[in-house]
Amino acid sequence: MFFFSAELSAQNASEILLKVDRNLSSDNRVFESSMTISGKRNSRTISSKTYAVGNNKSFTEYLSPASEKGTKMLKLEKQLWLYSPGSDRTIQLSGHMLRQSVMGSDLSYEDMMDDRKLSEIYDAQVVGEEMIGDRKTILLELTARLADVAYHSQRIWVDAERFVPLKQELFAKGGKLLKRIEMADVVKVQNRWFPLTMTYKDMLKQGDGTVFKLSNIEFDQAIPEYIFTKAALKK
Amino acid sequence: MKLAFTLAWRNLIGAGLRTWLNVIVLSFTFVIIIWLKGILSGWDQQAKNDMKDWEIAGGQWWHDAYDPFDPLSLESSHAVVPLDSIFTHQSNAVVPALMVQASIFPNGRMQQAILKGIPPHQTLLNLPSALLDTTVNGIPVVIGQTMAKNMGLSVGDLFTLRWRDRFGSFDAAEAEVVGVFYTNVPAVDQGLVYLDLAQLQRMTMFHNEATILSFHEGFFPENQAVGWKSKTVKELTKQVDEMIKTKSAGQSVMYLVLLFLAMLAIFDTQVLSIFRRQREIGTYIALGYTRPQVVGLFTLEGSMHAVLAAIAGAFYGIPFLWWQARVGWTLPMDSSEFGMAMAPTLYPVYSIGLIASTVLLVLLTTTVVSYFPSRKIAKMNPTEALRGKLQ
Amino acid sequence: MIRFLFKGLWRDKSRSRLPIIVVATGVTLTIFLHAYIVGFMGDTIEMNARFNAGHVKVMTKAFEAASHQLPIDLALGNVSQLLTELQRDFPQMEWSSRIQFGGLADVPDENGETKAQGPFIGMAMNLTGDDSRDIERLQIASALTQGKLPANQTEVLMSDHFARALGLKPGDSFTMMTSSANASMRMQNFTVSGTLIFGAELLDRGSVLMDIGAAQQLLEMEDATAEILGFFKNGYFDSKAADLLVMQFNSKHDDPEDDFSPVMKSLRAQGSMGQYVEMAEKWSWYVSFVFILAMSLVLWNAGLLGGLRRYGEVGLRLAIGEEKKHIYFTLLLESVLIGLAGTFVGTLFGLLFAWMLQTWGIDISGMMQGASLMFPSVIKARITPTDFYLGFFPGILSTLIGTALSGIGIFKWQTASLFKELEV
Repeated sequence: MFFFSAELSAQNASEILLKVDRNLSSDNRVFESSMTISGKRNSRTISSKTYAVGNNKSFTEYLSPASEKGTKMLKLEKQLWLYSPGSDRTIQLSGHMLRQSVMGSDLSYEDMMDDRKLSEIYDAQVVGEEMIGDRKTILLELTARLADVAYHSQRIWVDAERFVPLKQELFAKGGKLLKRIEMADVVKVQNRWFPLTMTYKDMLKQGDGTVFKLSNIEFDQAIPEYIFTKAALKK
Repeated sequence: MKLAFTLAWRNLIGAGLRTWLNVIVLSFTFVIIIWLKGILSGWDQQAKNDMKDWEIAGGQWWHDAYDPFDPLSLESSHAVVPLDSIFTHQSNAVVPALMVQASIFPNGRMQQAILKGIPPHQTLLNLPSALLDTTVNGIPVVIGQTMAKNMGLSVGDLFTLRWRDRFGSFDAAEAEVVGVFYTNVPAVDQGLVYLDLAQLQRMTMFHNEATILSFHEGFFPENQAVGWKSKTVKELTKQVDEMIKTKSAGQSVMYLVLLFLAMLAIFDTQVLSIFRRQREIGTYIALGYTRPQVVGLFTLEGSMHAVLAAIAGAFYGIPFLWWQARVGWTLPMDSSEFGMAMAPTLYPVYSIGLIASTVLLVLLTTTVVSYFPSRKIAKMNPTEALRGKLQ
Repeated sequence: MIRFLFKGLWRDKSRSRLPIIVVATGVTLTIFLHAYIVGFMGDTIEMNARFNAGHVKVMTKAFEAASHQLPIDLALGNVSQLLTELQRDFPQMEWSSRIQFGGLADVPDENGETKAQGPFIGMAMNLTGDDSRDIERLQIASALTQGKLPANQTEVLMSDHFARALGLKPGDSFTMMTSSANASMRMQNFTVSGTLIFGAELLDRGSVLMDIGAAQQLLEMEDATAEILGFFKNGYFDSKAADLLVMQFNSKHDDPEDDFSPVMKSLRAQGSMGQYVEMAEKWSWYVSFVFILAMSLVLWNAGLLGGLRRYGEVGLRLAIGEEKKHIYFTLLLESVLIGLAGTFVGTLFGLLFAWMLQTWGIDISGMMQGASLMFPSVIKARITPTDFYLGFFPGILSTLIGTALSGIGIFKWQTASLFKELEV
């Protein structure tokens, strides 16, 4: 009886995870976003527009502030290029450079690059139910199936109706909590539920974390293929 | 010849205070040159010994990709230790060290550091690695004094370590400082957190891998393994040589001035002796001495100052130099700011070569300086000289 | 009387020439050596001062607490106002803004794609401004191995080893990528105007020297700087004056509430430089003492020798009935005159040589593999006020003692044996 229910919960859990992926991942999306980074003396907001296809192609152009305007970032598979209009140069970031924080935020380039579907990486298990605000959530525990993942395990609070995560905790292999992401402003866009605000917090660091806000998200758009070429960076 | 020595000796002693003043000044020259040079060679030896004791042992092998000045190179600079079974880790033939970049979070601030895994039971290097063999609330680590100061950590403090394993997965754990060591070698202190090699290999899944191998002098392999570069002690201590060269150039001005000063006194003395002792010179020639012989006699007399000075210098110099070698010359500064090994106290080292070359240098210079005024004798008219007439 | 003696000295060159030469040479050496030792011992202090400590340094409290991490986000703001104030309040000082930061240097190939990359430490100072003293202060020109000094803000100097590793020659461009004080990612192109050797391996591996203006722009630090170094205009650290300065500045600016209020630190209070300063002072004194002692002995001896030269003359003067006391007294007076003249001439020459050594230095680059910034190949002297009077002790005192001792012999002479002694 016990085994059966564990089996069932694992099945449920993977189904839930698939539903989450269906909401969050898409073949193709275009969105504008703003990132608010709280520093020691001030906080600042950087806005950008991103085009993404699948999990391994994305192109981001920074729109403001003036110092970042025109900076572009191209990601193809495991490679990342940065372009700055000031220098008119395209620089490829590799290895260790990818571990640097993006624009001083609590996210590294690598964090941004690894957007494989949760269900591809993790095995899930339902471990409970909790209320977050007025939403009922199912708490899942995810454990990596693969070796090459940044976070060996996660706890993820999934809205029980909309199948959108409302809170996510990322753990080190040893079990230490490394990052916490809180989602809010869940809206329905083209038949998907999607959180428009995400707050990233590096749990080992002092600070208020980084707030990531999406606006104008659109799925399944016609994105010209040339956007994902190095030539497009210089445009 | 014996007569010449006896004459020279009598003349010198007869001059009393004047001779002794010259001798004292010359003896200063001896003692100070030997002392200053001794300090430099002591510094040289000590800096190298400290590096050997703490860092490089009897030579190292570096993984090909390892670059001590580029912490980012660490990501790819490790491989399975390429050694035969004779190099067991427990013996002190070789100490493998694995280096991994990590973030540490002392007091909530994120800092970059390098985790350096070393075998706890090694005794080849002075690092207090034995302290790592303990059980505490976190991963036991030891750090250097500068690191402790910069990070605001002391023994018993806990802080978070975050690193990646071989697949790039994050891992984090608490570490506890079980020891803070003091070293004169900043390279083994700054930015480094030491932990048990086996533990680091487990943490990162780099099984049996290392970044640097430090060898016992007697076990430094002549052949190189593929993927590793061999670094001899000489190559690793090149910077010390450079520094010593600069310092010794600076010091030599001091010797030169001191020597010049002493020579001034000898010169003055010689000029006066020859001026006052013309009748004596005339007598020597009348007795059948050739002029070069007389010149030799006076030169000998001058250069005997140096011999006396060496003896006088030995009287107070040996106790002084010996005392210095024991107590050292304390340099109350933090060597870490210079980025190179430097002990707070320098113990001068005097080699036979150093002493012999100094004695020879002073003796030769004195002889040359004594000779020049004496040449005048050769031009003297012996009859006039005999009459004591001034020439 | 003095005039009579002076005439005697002047007319009888043998009486005056050699003793004066000896005294003068001795005094010259003493002063020269003292200036040299002070310069030599102070070298490490000044090297630290020029590179990072200044004679005094101004930074924010927050920056100071974390300074080993080069936290440019904790930098000083309103720098132009602060500089104006510093210049007004402390006219005896020169101020130099400095920023150190880390980044990635990226060299393009013909298509503008990454050909080579390497991490670097950037050091920004006043390199191109009209009021720049940093080039001279750090003796940058003499450490150049290739190329020339930067002519404008887009030109930088690079450590020679790093330039070679990246395949860069003077005239070539590369891109600096770094994160600004606001943590934005910044990329900017610069041209290598020249390369140089620092002499410290860490810096030689990857350093870029650039103008402060360019760095402020690159790092989004407009009117901001990490540190302001203050240097005494005479170029040498003065510990007491620096302490006074620090007290004045801090009492005016200290704000315990504000982590970003500026604080000033003396070189002595930075790391362990204080102990080094003390040691250098002590050892300059010891070494000078030994040399002055040696010098005094030499001059004493010269005094004795001078007395002997006058043997015949003294005998004659006794013979014609001059009083022994009077002879002794005139000899002493003469020796004072000789000492004075010698000391005067010697001090002049000593100062001249020391000045030459202070201005041009001794080039020891032949002994080293090449000049470098951290280990200057030029050893310099430093003239301090002491050098102006230092020579008088050995110069006059020793000559006088020498004469006084040798002159005692006069009192032992028996008039009866005089002519036998003289045998003119």
